[in-house]
Amino acid sequence: MKMNYVRPVLGGMAMSSALCLSGIAAATDTETAMDNPSDWASQAGDYANHRYSTLDQINASNVKGLQVAWTMSTGVLRGHEGSPLVIGNTMYIHTPFPNNVYAINLADQTYKWKYEPKQDAQVVPVMCCDTVNRGLAFGDGKIFLQQADTTLVALDAATGKVVWTAKNGDSKIGETNTNAPHVFKDVVLTGISGGEFGVHGRMNAYDIKTGKRLWTGYSTGPDDQLLVDPKKTMTWTNGKMEPIGKDSSLKTWKGDQWKLGGGTTWGWYAYDPKLNLVYYGSGNPGTWNPSQRPGDNKWSMTIWARDLNTGMAKWVYQMTPHDEWDFDGVNEMVLADIPVEGKETPVLMHLDRNGFGYTMNRVTGELLVAEKFDPNVNWATKVDMKTGRPVVNAKYSPGTTGPDVDVKDICPAALGSKDEQPSSFDPKTKLMYVPTNHVCMTYEPFQIEYTAGQPYVGATLTMYPTPNSHGGMGNFIAWDPAVGKIVWSKPEKFSVWSGALTTAGDVAFYGTLEGYLKAVSLKDGSELWKFKTPSGIIGNVFTYVYNGKQYVGVYSGIGGWAGIGMAAGLSEGHEGLGAVGGYKDLAKYTTLGGSLFVFALPDGSGGVTKTASNVQE
Amino acid sequence: MTRYFVPRYLVSVMSIAILSAATVVADAQNPPYTVQDGTKVDQKTLDGWKTWRALACERCHGAEQEGLVGPSLVESLKTMSKEDFHTTVINGRPEKGMPPWGGSDMMVKNWEGLYDYLKGRSDGAIKPGHLYPISQ
Repeated sequence: MKMNYVRPVLGGMAMSSALCLSGIAAATDTETAMDNPSDWASQAGDYANHRYSTLDQINASNVKGLQVAWTMSTGVLRGHEGSPLVIGNTMYIHTPFPNNVYAINLADQTYKWKYEPKQDAQVVPVMCCDTVNRGLAFGDGKIFLQQADTTLVALDAATGKVVWTAKNGDSKIGETNTNAPHVFKDVVLTGISGGEFGVHGRMNAYDIKTGKRLWTGYSTGPDDQLLVDPKKTMTWTNGKMEPIGKDSSLKTWKGDQWKLGGGTTWGWYAYDPKLNLVYYGSGNPGTWNPSQRPGDNKWSMTIWARDLNTGMAKWVYQMTPHDEWDFDGVNEMVLADIPVEGKETPVLMHLDRNGFGYTMNRVTGELLVAEKFDPNVNWATKVDMKTGRPVVNAKYSPGTTGPDVDVKDICPAALGSKDEQPSSFDPKTKLMYVPTNHVCMTYEPFQIEYTAGQPYVGATLTMYPTPNSHGGMGNFIAWDPAVGKIVWSKPEKFSVWSGALTTAGDVAFYGTLEGYLKAVSLKDGSELWKFKTPSGIIGNVFTYVYNGKQYVGVYSGIGGWAGIGMAAGLSEGHEGLGAVGGYKDLAKYTTLGGSLFVFALPDGSGGVTKTASNVQE
Repeated sequence: MTRYFVPRYLVSVMSIAILSAATVVADAQNPPYTVQDGTKVDQKTLDGWKTWRALACERCHGAEQEGLVGPSLVESLKTMSKEDFHTTVINGRPEKGMPPWGGSDMMVKNWEGLYDYLKGRSDGAIKPGHLYPISQ
């Protein structure tokens, strides 16, 4: 099938190819598969985190005919984040803890192999409160699994046999993993979770062949641990890029608090092969009680640009200095070349938990745009474009009011105007299509002592729908990253906690916590089709071609932060104080599940007619 | 209170409690906590609540103990014995996701106060949310 495959000639394709392939070095098997729209070879489909497919068999005019093609149980309940991978005639699916991996033959949906790791159940409490895993990576003929217990496993893609393993952290001190590993060229990158346990956040790089650790770049601490050059690593300062200088992190912490500094790295990374730079975000600083850790707490809450091979940071940008709200900076980094102020610009786009959508020059690290992508964001009035710092509203600043004061109506809530649920970038419209939260909170910090392996939180939160708005807890929006404006916004009853997909068929797909998979128009967000799956959707939508036919799929299985209230015990009669008070209505719609749903157009409905993206039936 | 439940290792803690919370000790019918207006409690119960808060128990059991991933403690404490409670918090139920808190000085010191606090929540006598000392 692949031999006969004729690639569509589209502007979008050309762009994503340019971002995928350097054109000099030989393409890796990851890159070859990513460049073939029949495959879904990485969690985002490409290095640039576009979550965009050039497939157009399913399109805005026929998507209303979409039907279930096949389904499969994952055998595990709890939250199903991430998506399967498809390479050739095989689909690779993964589960939440215990992180089983199944290779499925697409010809008859039978199992080719299964990998069922034995992990110490002691890791589950440290992951509290959900045991999600954001998926697998593919490269060098291997499938990479980042287990909850921090073991990174390389499996032979053909047989499922373990090729190598690497220990990425220590669950005894609260280090766990939920992120997907990322394969860039011949390097496997993986981060760490445990920001609520006082861990020392970092990014780890491994050799794809052997599993040997290549480098570790910490988020906080001395320069040699950060992998920064005080003279060459740059950051946005007074309207221009300047070197970060010596001890840039140490100077912003009291004593040795940086050792418990958090800055975890469990999001979606991007890679620009031309620049050989890796982009990712670091999470919240250790303890949610801001009064306890004075200073900017660098480089938590930071966008990092590092050299893939050495780990050396080229530039950094801290979005939320001295975090007071748990606005982890880990959300996806999206790369594209778009016109900004009339000039074609290589940008990095990032819609942060803190409610601001940032557009940076990804080569230099210059701040170009920083605007609210939810109009109700109130913790800061704006980002000062000269200093790059948010202008914090003292009324919503738990660090100002101090411990044991309950600060009310902070927007957004700790889970952010968006969380890990990744957006999609359509290279044709040059817009981002973004699953968002619309949730506010009260926040009461309190003094906390650190004990290794135990929660290091120090704040009590309650969350509820944004007051004086549409009453729902989410929106699906179209965002213009060139100017920082919402183009359209479609209200949702609950947070949209599912990764979006856009296609050359001019359709955006996303799932909802009630369990609907929806297809909407790129033009205005109007609903074109929806289907109710058995459980809420927090997985990411993906697409592929098998035997000439386009499929769209998603995991159904509620959980994650927004969905944890679905488990036992949530009953009526409790007032809105509860941490998931606003989410308890979910119980009317759905319960735990764990299945994969795959959709296609019915045969003969036009779905398998010859189109630019499909020449074989 | 101590008549039907006096493990030897608790005696010292108990006697302190008896001294400091005179209104509570009368008999087995009385609750192990003292509460006024639903939000003001004796020091031991207050320390129990602070332990609840510091160890982030609400992440699994809910801000109102109503249950999330972990079970509802409003329900559990209606039937669970103090001994079983002690065993559970110290040893955990790792297979279900409950951490063993035996390594936490705060828990080892305050587990009884935590039991008292949760009992008060289960009885409906103590309100959800922030608690204060009775003296205030």
